[in-house]
Amino acid sequence: MNLRLLVVEDDREIRAMMQSSLSVEGFEVQTAVSLSEARAMLQHRTPDVVVLDLGLPDGDGLALVALIRQRHSLPILIVSARHQEAEKIRLLDAGADDYLTKPFHVGELLARIRVAMRHRGTALAPAVTEHRLDGLSIDLAQRSVMLHGRALHLTPTEFKLLARLVRSAGRVVTHRQLLSDVWGPEFTEHTHYLRLYMAQLRAKIEADPAEPRHLLTETGVGYRLATA
Amino acid sequence: MPSSTETERFEWSPWAAVAGLILAATLGAMVLDRDVSLTSQAMLYLLAVVVAAYNLRPLPSIACAVAAVTAFNFFFVPPRLTFAVDSREHVIALAVTLVVALVISRLTAKLRTETRSAQLHASRAHQLQTLAGTLAATTSAEAAVAVARRALDVAFPGRATMVTLGSEGADEREAGTPDNTHDGLRACMREAATLGPGTGRWPGLNAWYIPLGDASQMQGAVCIEGVQAADVDGLEHAQALCALVAQALHRLKMATHMLAAEAEAQRQQMQGTFLAAISHDLRSPLASIMGAASALQSQSEKLEPAEKERLLASISGEARYLSDVTENTLQFLQLTNASAPQQRTWESMEEIAGAVLARMRLRDPDHRIRASVAKDLPLIQADAVLIAQLLVNLLENALKYSQGAIDLVIRATPTQLRASVKDRGPSIPGAQYDQIFQPYARNDRSGQRGAGLGLALCRAIAQSHHGSLTVKARQAGGNSFTFAMPLSPEQPRIDMESAAP
Repeated sequence: MNLRLLVVEDDREIRAMMQSSLSVEGFEVQTAVSLSEARAMLQHRTPDVVVLDLGLPDGDGLALVALIRQRHSLPILIVSARHQEAEKIRLLDAGADDYLTKPFHVGELLARIRVAMRHRGTALAPAVTEHRLDGLSIDLAQRSVMLHGRALHLTPTEFKLLARLVRSAGRVVTHRQLLSDVWGPEFTEHTHYLRLYMAQLRAKIEADPAEPRHLLTETGVGYRLATA
Repeated sequence: MPSSTETERFEWSPWAAVAGLILAATLGAMVLDRDVSLTSQAMLYLLAVVVAAYNLRPLPSIACAVAAVTAFNFFFVPPRLTFAVDSREHVIALAVTLVVALVISRLTAKLRTETRSAQLHASRAHQLQTLAGTLAATTSAEAAVAVARRALDVAFPGRATMVTLGSEGADEREAGTPDNTHDGLRACMREAATLGPGTGRWPGLNAWYIPLGDASQMQGAVCIEGVQAADVDGLEHAQALCALVAQALHRLKMATHMLAAEAEAQRQQMQGTFLAAISHDLRSPLASIMGAASALQSQSEKLEPAEKERLLASISGEARYLSDVTENTLQFLQLTNASAPQQRTWESMEEIAGAVLARMRLRDPDHRIRASVAKDLPLIQADAVLIAQLLVNLLENALKYSQGAIDLVIRATPTQLRASVKDRGPSIPGAQYDQIFQPYARNDRSGQRGAGLGLALCRAIAQSHHGSLTVKARQAGGNSFTFAMPLSPEQPRIDMESAAP
């Protein structure tokens, strides 16, 4: 059975472009031009992935994200312009899975959808606990981090931070989510904790910390553990 | 200050002076009694009367004249030590002395008044001259008002209050101005005429209300308290002072308007260049996109596959360029019309550079960009998205305008963080260093499309971080663009734990 995608986008051209390029990849694509139409379609039939454009004419996407999260664990991808940082972060914090910045390549969109699908159902099934890429292998259950066959010694906080990224491997995790999950909800404004601990982690994991391969920075938004 | 209550009070000193003068004349006349005639003794008393008349007010000086004649009569006119006068000759002498004393007293008093008023005139003229000079040197309305205040305090003993009209026509009253004074000042501005004693308008007041300026150019008003209707010269002086102040305020207001008008003209001119350049920057890529797309549409069968590839690459390349131009333009407008507060968080330059490199590698398949980022860089308080955009723009330009290696070098000094992008392209002439940072100033480096707002945005970003963006030629050819921003003196501290065993 084909995967069902709901694309919520008010621009006709972009909608048509996404529909044709995603259909070619074997997705069954439904489109909605507004939040209200998207809500109606969600009641009718639940898709497997939602691609949500920011700045829709009939209001804030936040309500839709909240509505979806009440009932489903399906992945939500945000599509935004570069200037909509604050809104994008708000939606990620509210439970959206990842984002794309306009203009984007179709290839990027497909990659994000694939990553999002891999995490589908993480709320029900056991979460991702293992990660392997380019000589880095992490096993959360064993609490082991190996780089090119050598065990790395991480401090408890470094491990917690890395573990949080592993559980969302491939997806962006916002500053707020990381601070809240690793240090506690009262630390959500302390971005310097992240900067300093990420620098330490990079120094241990990356061959060239200035051009990281694994621990990627999403400027102004958060971090992402590379999966490809 | 000589308030009215003090002048009404009885003053001892003039009467003591009168007594002293009479005593001195009497003693002098007694000493000379044997050697001189009665006439010479009378002259001594006359001298006392003249001295008194010149130095004292009219009443004490007349009293002095009467006292002198009385003392002269008592002590020296026979029969001595009585007020009786025994010969007709002496009566005449006494009467003439009295009349002469009175006339001299009046004349000297008048002379004294005239000398005083001449002195006052001179000092007032001097004050006006100095004030005109000082006001000409002032550059702000506040300074002019302060100068005017001091001049009024020096010129008049009574309290002076000022009100000035701001640029929006709202009056800016001084703190502590009583309501009735303020009402008077407003009435004065409304009528554009001097009010108060001696002016024919509202003579019942005890203060002058003098407008600053005339009905068409009202700048404010001044209230001077404790004044007399008879002080015509004082009123004239006050009006002359106020005319000077009004002139200065008018001049300053005009200067402000001129500046605003100039800024507006400049802004409009910039907007014009902006629109012209932006339409050029948008039109040419749009033209090539439409050209390529229409070729693919209508000539699809005739085109070689390689040719089709080239057209498609041109469409996506030009679209990316359009996207960059739009991005830069929006960001520039947002930054230069900065009404929105900018967010500043602790950021790591190493991270920003890493993200920028990740973004750039897509456009730099040959790895021309070499990064050299110092270890243990301090954190900066910045808007990471903007700093990233600055670096992306500099690297894009370097890729576009040069061949060969490009170095991204990031270092910290104790007070500064410096990020440099160094290329080996054609050096920008020194004369163009300022020009290239102007929005849409075009330099035809290697005939390529203009950098648009890229560098102007970079500089605006640097400045919004209290930093700078400069360019200089490299010794062996090429350009080095350097962004420098001050480091916060205090770095955030946290207790880092040591590695688990």
